[in-house]
Parts: sequence; C-alpha cells; structure tokens
Amino acid sequence: MNRFLVLLKRELKSIAKEKTIMLAIIIQFFIASFSSVLLIGIMSFYDPESIGQNTQISIDVGIVGDTSSPLLWFLKEKNLRVISFHHVAEAEEAFRSGYIDTVIFIPESNNGIVDMKLVLPELDTTATVILMVLQEPLERYENYLREMNGVQLNYKDIGGKPHTTREFLYSLIVPILMLFPAFIAGSIVVDSLTEEIENKTFDTLRSTPVSVNSVFASKITAAIIISATQCILWAVLLRLNSLFIQNIGLVLLFSVIIAAFIAIGAAIIALYFKDRERAQFTYSIAMIAIVGLSYFFNPSPLSLITRLATGDYYTGTFEVMLYSIPLFILGALFFPISKKLVST
Amino acid sequence: MFAVRNILTISKREISRFRTRFTGKSSFVILGILTICLIITYIIYHEEFALSKGLYTVGIPPDSTAITDARFNVVTLDLETGRTMLQNKAIDIYIYRNQAICRDDDRSQYAAGALKQYLERWELARIANEYSSNQAFPLRIEINHLKAPAGNLDTKTQISLSDILGLTESSAIQEPSGISEEGLPTPPQPATSSTDAALRQQLDEFRSGNKLPKFKAEFASDKEIIIPSLMNPPMPLAQVVMAFLYVVPILFVSVFFTSSFMEEKTGRKLTILLSAPITPLQIILGKILPYIGYSVVAIIAITLLLKGNILLALAIFIPVMLFILSIYLMVALTYRTFRDQTFFSVLAVAVITAYLVGPAMFSGVSDLSYISPLTLAVEMYRGGSFGLTEYFLSTAPMYLIFLLALFVGKRIFNEEYFTGFKPLLTKFAEAIYLVMDRNHLYISVFLLSLFLIPIVFMVQLSSIVIASNLPLPFVFGVVLITSALVEETAKSSGIAVLLNNGIIKSLKGVLLLSFISALGFWIGEKLLLYLALSVITESVFTKAIFSTGLLVIPLIMHFASTSIVCLTTARFGTKYYPAAIMAGSVLHTLYNLCVTGVIL
Repeated sequence: MNRFLVLLKRELKSIAKEKTIMLAIIIQFFIASFSSVLLIGIMSFYDPESIGQNTQISIDVGIVGDTSSPLLWFLKEKNLRVISFHHVAEAEEAFRSGYIDTVIFIPESNNGIVDMKLVLPELDTTATVILMVLQEPLERYENYLREMNGVQLNYKDIGGKPHTTREFLYSLIVPILMLFPAFIAGSIVVDSLTEEIENKTFDTLRSTPVSVNSVFASKITAAIIISATQCILWAVLLRLNSLFIQNIGLVLLFSVIIAAFIAIGAAIIALYFKDRERAQFTYSIAMIAIVGLSYFFNPSPLSLITRLATGDYYTGTFEVMLYSIPLFILGALFFPISKKLVST
Repeated sequence: MFAVRNILTISKREISRFRTRFTGKSSFVILGILTICLIITYIIYHEEFALSKGLYTVGIPPDSTAITDARFNVVTLDLETGRTMLQNKAIDIYIYRNQAICRDDDRSQYAAGALKQYLERWELARIANEYSSNQAFPLRIEINHLKAPAGNLDTKTQISLSDILGLTESSAIQEPSGISEEGLPTPPQPATSSTDAALRQQLDEFRSGNKLPKFKAEFASDKEIIIPSLMNPPMPLAQVVMAFLYVVPILFVSVFFTSSFMEEKTGRKLTILLSAPITPLQIILGKILPYIGYSVVAIIAITLLLKGNILLALAIFIPVMLFILSIYLMVALTYRTFRDQTFFSVLAVAVITAYLVGPAMFSGVSDLSYISPLTLAVEMYRGGSFGLTEYFLSTAPMYLIFLLALFVGKRIFNEEYFTGFKPLLTKFAEAIYLVMDRNHLYISVFLLSLFLIPIVFMVQLSSIVIASNLPLPFVFGVVLITSALVEETAKSSGIAVLLNNGIIKSLKGVLLLSFISALGFWIGEKLLLYLALSVITESVFTKAIFSTGLLVIPLIMHFASTSIVCLTTARFGTKYYPAAIMAGSVLHTLYNLCVTGVIL
C-alpha cells in the first residue's frame, strides 16, 4: 500500500509539473465558452419569444391595409410600437427613413384566407430578428383566423417556461463538463504507460521491488483523481454561474466510475499496442464507439447525468451503481491480464 | 528538380513508415472498432436522435393519446393519483382533457413549456388532417425585402413598396386587397389562394418529420410564402454537421502527422536527416505531403458520398486542411513531452472546432459567419453561392498561417531547439529569435509584424467568442482590452526577443524598430480591413478591432504603444515585459475607446 502511495504521489507530481491540469481546464473552458455563445445565438431561434423578452429590442411596425385587424392588438400586446398608414407612400417614406423597421400589409380576408405581405429590411440579421419577434403575434393572429374558420386548436393555453436553454444546458453542457475529464483521464493513462514502455523506463521499474500492478494502479488512480478534481471544480464554477446541479454527490460518483472505466480501458489499449501513436488513435476511435454504444443504454451516461442533475424522481443510487458493474468486470479482467500484455 | 526528388523521397519513407504501423493484428483491431463506429452512426442516424431522453415525467389518463417524444417519460395514471404524484413531485406535469396541470416550481414549468411545444405540433398535424388547408392554415405571408434607408440608392431602378404590395401610391388603406391596375405585378386574389402550393409544400415537409431539415440561408428569402405556425428557425445544423464531417478525418490524419514527427524527434532521426544533403523545408514538405494526400482523398470521398461539388469542396477544405496541419506542425515542433503533445493536440482540436463550427452556425444570420470556411460549405450544400471576397476572407488567413508555419518550421528546424527541455514561453521566444534574420533586422521585424496579423485576427475573434459569456457591457470592455493586449504582444515580441539576446544596443534602435514593427502591423491590418469590411459591416467589435476609417492616426498609435512596450522592456529588462505590454495596451485601449466613440 505504501509503495502504491509513493507511486501515486510520483504520478501526480509529474502531471502537476507539466501544468497539464491547467491545460485541461483551458480546453474545457474553451468548450464551455464556445457552447454558451452558440447557446445565445441558436437557442434564441428555438425560443423566438425569448428574443423579445430577454433583449431590449424595440421594433416599430408600420401597418398598411386593414388597420382594424386583431393583429394590431396582438402586436401591441407584444410591446411593439404599431403605426398605421393611410397611404403606401407614407409607409414607404417612414420605412426608408428608418422611422419604422418593417411594413405589414393586411388585406381583407378572401374566403377565410388572408394573404398578407411583410416587408423587411435587406440586412439578414435585422430581418431575421424582426421575423422572430413577429412570429408569436403572427401565430396568435393565425389562431384567431382559424377560430373564425371554425377550427379550434387544443392545448394552446398551456403556460410553462421557455425550456430549450435549460434542456441544452442540462442535456449537453453539464454532461460534457462532467464526462470530458474522464476522456482526459484515459488519454493521460495512454501517454503515461506508452511513454514508460517506449522510453524503456518501465523495464527499470520492473527490476525494483514494485509490482507491475501497483504501477498500473497508481497511474490509473492518478488519472481518476485529476478527473474528479476537475469535475468538482466545474460543479463549483457552474454553481457560481447560477446553474445548480442536484444530486451532486451522485453526479460526481458517476463521473468517477466512468473515469475509472475509461482509464482502465485506456490502460489495456496502451499495453496492447505499446506505442503511443497507435494507442492514442485506437483509444480515440474506441471512445467514439463507446459513446455511440452508450446511447442505446437506458439511461445512457449522458441522460443519467442529465436526470441526476435535474433532480429526476426516478433516478438515483441504483442507476449509478448499475454502471459500476462493467467497471468491476473490466477491473477484474485487467489486473490478471496486465502482466501478460506487458510482457508480450 | 533535385528538391522535388528529395521531397518525394521523404514522402515515400513516410508512407512506408505509416504502413508498417498498421499491419498484422493491430490493423484488425482498429478496423473492427472503426466498423463498430460506422454501424452505430448508421443506426443512430436512422433512429430519431434524442439528447434529453426521459428528462421530464408526464402523467396521462388511461384513455389519452400516447406521447412519443423521447424527452418525456410517460406514466399512465388516473386523475386522483396524478394529482397526488404531482404534489409529491413524482411527476412533473399531468395532462387531463386538453388541460395541463402543473406545479409552480421551475421543473414543472419547464416541463409544461416543453410539452406545449410537442402538443402544438401534434395539434397542427391533427387539424391538417381533419380540415381543409384553407381552414387550418388561413394566414399566409409573402416576405419581401426592401433597402432601408434609401440614402444613396438610385430611386429610378429600385423597387418601391407600392410595387411589392401591388398597390398604387395613392391607394387608401381601406381599399380591398385585390385591386390592381394594369401593369402592376400582383394579380387580383383568386378564390383559391395563389399561396396554396407553398402551403402544400410546407405541410409535406412538416409531415415528413424533419429528420434532416432543409436549411434555408435566410429565415425567409424574398417572395417566399411563410405560414407562421409552420415556420422553422434557420438552423443550419445538418449542413454544419455535413461540413464538419470533412474536418474529422483531417484531424485524425494530423494526429498521425504529429506522432510521426514526435517519434523521429525523440529517436533523433530528424537530426540524422539534417546531416544529409536535404534542407529542413524539404523534410517538412516531404513529411507533410502524404498527409495532404490522405486528406485530399478523404475530402473527395466525403464529397462523393454527400453528392457535393468536388472542385468547390477542394477549394473550401484544402485551406482548412493546411490550417489544421500547420497547427499540428507547430505542436510537433514545440512540444517537450508526450503529455504536452496530447494536451496541445486536444486544445488544438477544441480551438479548431470552435473556430470552424461556431461562426458557421450563424450562416445566413450574420455576415460574420464568413470568417469560417465551413460557412462556405454550408452555402454549397444548400445550393447557394458566395463571392470571391467571402472566399478569401475565410480562407486567406488559413493559407497565410500555413505559409507562416512552413517558414517558422524551416527556421527552427535544428537539433538544439528540438532537444531543449525548457519552459514553453522560452521555447516560443527561442522560436521567434530563430525566425528572425539577424543580418536584416529591420526587414525581419517588419515581416514578423505583418505575418502575425492572421494569428492576431484569429485570436481576437476567439476572444469575442469567449467574452460573449459575459454581460454585454463587459463583453465590449473585455474585447477591447484583449485585442489591445494581443496586438501589443504581436508587435513587440520580436523586439523584446532581440533585446533579451542583446542584439539591440541603443534606445534609438529600439524606437526605429518600434516604428518598423508598427508599420508592418499597420499595413497588414489595413489589408485585412479592406477584405473584412467588404464582407462584415455590422459588428461594433470588428470596428473596435480593426480601427476603421483613419489612415495615419492608427499608425501613430501603433508606433506610440509599441514604443512604450519596447522602451519599458529595454529600460527594465524582459522580466518586466508583461508589465510593459500592459502599459502599451492602456494607450491602445484608450485609442480604441476614442475610435468607437465611447470617449471623446
């Protein structure tokens, strides 16, 4: 045990010396930053309502045609400024001078159909934002016309909050942040083992009274400790950003189980190939395969973290412990075969 | 001719080395894993991919229609049990007779929002089947685009609002929509609308389930008919994924390239090669050539698979490939240990992915998306077009970085540099020192500043990405400060390295070199500005970064700030170089604040 601790300390020191943890955190920070930028842009497309609510966009809408249309009321309810024009020329002048941002021509209904015309500025970005803001009042007007035609839509009064951002954060960002350290852990194990084998330092270690398995165990444990540290750090950072992870203990335990599974798998790959180039490549594609396969599990690692982090009633210790079964099987396989692998 | 033969010899050697790596048992293992990957991808592609499986738990009565969205874990309950379980938080929402019963807490409210989205689609499908299309979808909107404000437009040729609306300018508001005069483009409204065909097409798309939604470059293009409830967000996700498919094999190929370099570096084989009558550039080109070949084959294969335009795909992805390979070349040349290399590679993958995918997600929404060549690929796969200006804006920095990487690689290619285990910053400083020609200091400093422009450009754009996480007022401040810091570092790094090596002796020399460096940077900046402004016009950040408009004042500012950095470093030593950069950046930021009109 003492020898194992000495080896573990040595591993952790060598990783700390190379500032690898800092680099790993920079990578994750970059991914998180990148994701949240996408979040701002893309999620607003999914939740057009949130554009009007969350941003201080003031849109002035010019109306030509049927100024008694209920659409005007729906537009005003959305806090948009609505200006009616008696003549097209006046509306055009207002649009071109920048007094209004868009022009809506509302014709009278033709057998229950309204063929409206919407005039938008040519600049893509502005036109997109205007259209997204207008979507909700236009949908309400569409429902109004449906009702006039005797068509009733059910469930339209269900309230609720815009959910897409939350789904994106808990289904993608939180699982990535909690599982990415595990991927790094596997990579560390591959590097650490192949470096020892390729530089022949492993042979030197074998000539000391240290068992081969304690060398492997120390390397794997060091990688798991680093992974767990990063997960804890991420949980703290997310909390500072008002993103609360529920069942945090279970989420961390699960991350450690996955990190251990990947680290042992990476050790098998490293010992089988013995050179870094092939081992890292095989490890990368094996990771893709495992991530793909895990999609078919119920719950998959990603959705298990999502459910735990959102406080799902039906997800808890049992589901987490289910994932420890493959870990124990892999661990039980690895240590007996490791000697064979390293000596072939 | 001799040089080409040398390059080809090295390439042959590289190919045979690559082959020997993947023979025997290992090739079967790798092929096996690759096959599993392909099978899984195929299955997931044909299943409906859902990320938030079982995120919400919904209770429904026994006689209710099933909910098929994978986000919902559905439990069949009677009303009483449903209410009790809702109170106990065992379910998030309960559906009863066209009503949704939920709690006030966030979890239940989010579930209600998600369920509303699902049920609305379900209801649209129902009314589309039960009623005539005129009854179910009575509102159709024709989108028109008009230039605003009129300003410098030629009013004789431009389309007027009256033309668009099909009305005369004197038409009063209450006149029926069908009225039109002879020669006006819009015909009177028929009993069945002319928009029926557009509606049918959108309904077909809606019914098909949108597995791979057809991306439109704009939310709605000119004269397009939209139906509000069927309107889809302009998400180019499918096209971005298609475009990113090209990047994945290039990234894998690059990892092999780096590993090959590493092995030869640690095995001192590169040093042996150097003793042969072959130049460092020939070695680099020879080693990189097979990987360029593999990548080109991958690009062609993917384009054939996706039925794209091969020539266009090559034009878009060759610069991307060269950019990725140049980053990996730099990783291979500067890393010190195995773990260094892994982390740099992972970091490089993250940076490259962010740089390429991020802007492309905004294709058709913002012109800023053209900084990524993936946007060009998105355009290609949506059947759109792009001009040479857009092409050069996204690819020119990549071509330049590749040339820069080759030049730097050639200059630092020596045994001492390869074997030195020094701190990373020292390695960078050494690389800059080796890159410069001590016999032609002025030209070296000038060119260094000029050629660092593409890197500065990319780092600054990335800083916008990272800063966007902050609240808006901070974003602006952080972008301004970061861009100043990056530019001051780029302009002064060469001079600081020369000072550290005792090459510059006098303050006059420091000032002269500061001017030369500022001049090089200023010329590069103006070239980039010329290219960027013709494509990107709307971003206040680009204005801040490129300091638009003025000609001589930016040069004076660059000279003044570089002089502050270099004179401070000359006076107090390179130990205080970071502080000197900060001092120069203060002046630079103040100038940027003036340009953007925040102060003065």
